[in-house]
Amino acid sequence: MATSAETRFSLSGVKRNSLVVVFVAVQALVFAGTYTVGRPTWYAFFMIASTAVTAFALDGDRFTVALATMGSVLMVALALPLFLFVSRQVPSLVIEQALDPGVHRVLYLGVYGPLLAALASLVFGVPLAHLLSKGFPGQPLVESLVDLPLVVPHSVAGIIILFGFGKGGAFPSISVLGSMIGMVLAMAFVSAPYAVNAAREAFESIDDRLEYASRIHGASRWETFRRITGPLAVRGMVTGGVLAWARAVSEFGAVAVVAYSVSFFYPFEGGEVTAQHAPVFVYNTYLQGGLEQSGAVAFLLLSVSGIIFLIVRYLTTDTTTTGGVV
Amino acid sequence: MSLHADVSATFSADGAESFHVDAEIEVEHGESLVILGPSGSGKTLLLETVAGFHPHDGPVTLDGRRVSDTPPEERDFGFVFQDYALFPHMTVRENVDFGSRYHGDTRDPDDLLAELGVAGLTDRYPPTLSGGEKQRVALARALAVRPAVMLLDEPLAALDVPTRQSLRDDLADVLADATAVYVTHNRTTARALADRIVIMNEGNVVQSGTPEEIFYRPESPMVARFTGSNVIDLDDAPSLRAAFDVESDDVVTIRPESVAFGDDGDVRGTVERVVREDATNRVTVAVDRVTIETFTEQTPAVGDEVWLTLPESDIHVCRQAAAV
Repeated sequence: MATSAETRFSLSGVKRNSLVVVFVAVQALVFAGTYTVGRPTWYAFFMIASTAVTAFALDGDRFTVALATMGSVLMVALALPLFLFVSRQVPSLVIEQALDPGVHRVLYLGVYGPLLAALASLVFGVPLAHLLSKGFPGQPLVESLVDLPLVVPHSVAGIIILFGFGKGGAFPSISVLGSMIGMVLAMAFVSAPYAVNAAREAFESIDDRLEYASRIHGASRWETFRRITGPLAVRGMVTGGVLAWARAVSEFGAVAVVAYSVSFFYPFEGGEVTAQHAPVFVYNTYLQGGLEQSGAVAFLLLSVSGIIFLIVRYLTTDTTTTGGVV
Repeated sequence: MSLHADVSATFSADGAESFHVDAEIEVEHGESLVILGPSGSGKTLLLETVAGFHPHDGPVTLDGRRVSDTPPEERDFGFVFQDYALFPHMTVRENVDFGSRYHGDTRDPDDLLAELGVAGLTDRYPPTLSGGEKQRVALARALAVRPAVMLLDEPLAALDVPTRQSLRDDLADVLADATAVYVTHNRTTARALADRIVIMNEGNVVQSGTPEEIFYRPESPMVARFTGSNVIDLDDAPSLRAAFDVESDDVVTIRPESVAFGDDGDVRGTVERVVREDATNRVTVAVDRVTIETFTEQTPAVGDEVWLTLPESDIHVCRQAAAV
């Protein structure tokens, strides 16, 4: 008799994909039904129950069923608000916001600013990550400093940046308050740890002997990084960049303090425009226009972020880095 | 090219005591030196230190030219790693051709791969290869740059027995005319490939010499045991003491293959263990309070009383004081 593990793994790829499609389709249908009759709570219970039943059918082991059931509660907490958020959008309002040039600027800034922050995090974070992966005296201090923004409330991070680089701080000739530089600085402050840590993990996963092999057969340290270490860690770097970008896109506290609204060059109008970072704009719209109007802007921002995230994930699949074999 | 290294280096890791390597090796042009030692004896660290992967004190010279102050890429070595260390994002051909960018005169990757019997793999990626194939590619990569000295770190250790035997034969051909330092813990490989052997233990060289000297005239019980000799403390074997004219604190060593097994001989013992090894049996015989191993085509039973003959010419005396 096959064990539960054998049963689970004996599902072929096609069968597994079919199962996923059926599961998702059933979930979508039930959600649509419960939403239509105004009972989304029923869907929450259905999602938990259907997950438990599916786990039992696939595995039959009580432990797995318990894990799946507990996990599905968290999935309900994450997915149900998202489903309802998408379902409750008013299409006409979304279209209206999508056609608003002011919203275009916000969306542009909401992608462009975080992109600059992510690039800065990578340019300066990758060398640091490489050093951290090799180890050096005082490393724990540097690691603590890198991780500090993860535990600092982000409005506090904004205040710290203003003390450090604002009026009376370092680099008095550079204007930080309400400027693009300030916004990127605030975003980089909170997102750089993601870039550094992801890149460091990627470097640490590379066997030292690959670098030894490169060096002993003629490559310098620079060449070894260019031909061996860099390409093998590129997925980690890109992951770090995407995480940093995503974190910067969602940043509210530090940006609201440092750069509430900023002027920047907007190529579609060929000149300087002023706009707010998207989360700040969504919050303002919520205060001034209510839930429905802010929801439409949030929906657009979510769509743009989701599309970019999927594109980056697609571009960084295995085949782009190692010929599809590792 | 001849290689001389007299290096010392200290290695430390979190949660472990630091380990010190202090060793001198010398390899003549065209000679294969095997560094033989138990796991953890520091032989790989010594090889990596000679290659320049670790900071060290002391000189490394190639034909008298000091290379210890130069980085690995300027030392003119080829290196074959135990775990292959092939670049996973490059094809086999790109791996073998890796060094051509940095060396003026390199060998053609296709010719090398054909010589090593893996011509059909050029467009494959390393993760799709078997262990034996990977090691042949790694060997080709090292040979491609025409190194002055080949450094090989247990290249056969991760392979199954048939693949190991096949590749060992090929390595014997490759290393026949090359100057090479070969690290292994396998005495069979050492005997098959070495012109000279260095025995390492706890970071130091404890004996060096020809295979004949190392295997038949070990300078300490540690070397004798590690190379597979019987080590006999005559205080524990009174029935053997009468046959040998040695001092009381000496031990004697003898190769198992030198001990004859039969119905008559120098000393009588009891069969303790019989292990089948290919076409022969390795038999452990208890004599007084010691055990003696021998090989025989006979298949005795455990508990059988047997006679052993220990030819005096094959007995080597080594001092307990040299024990490690």
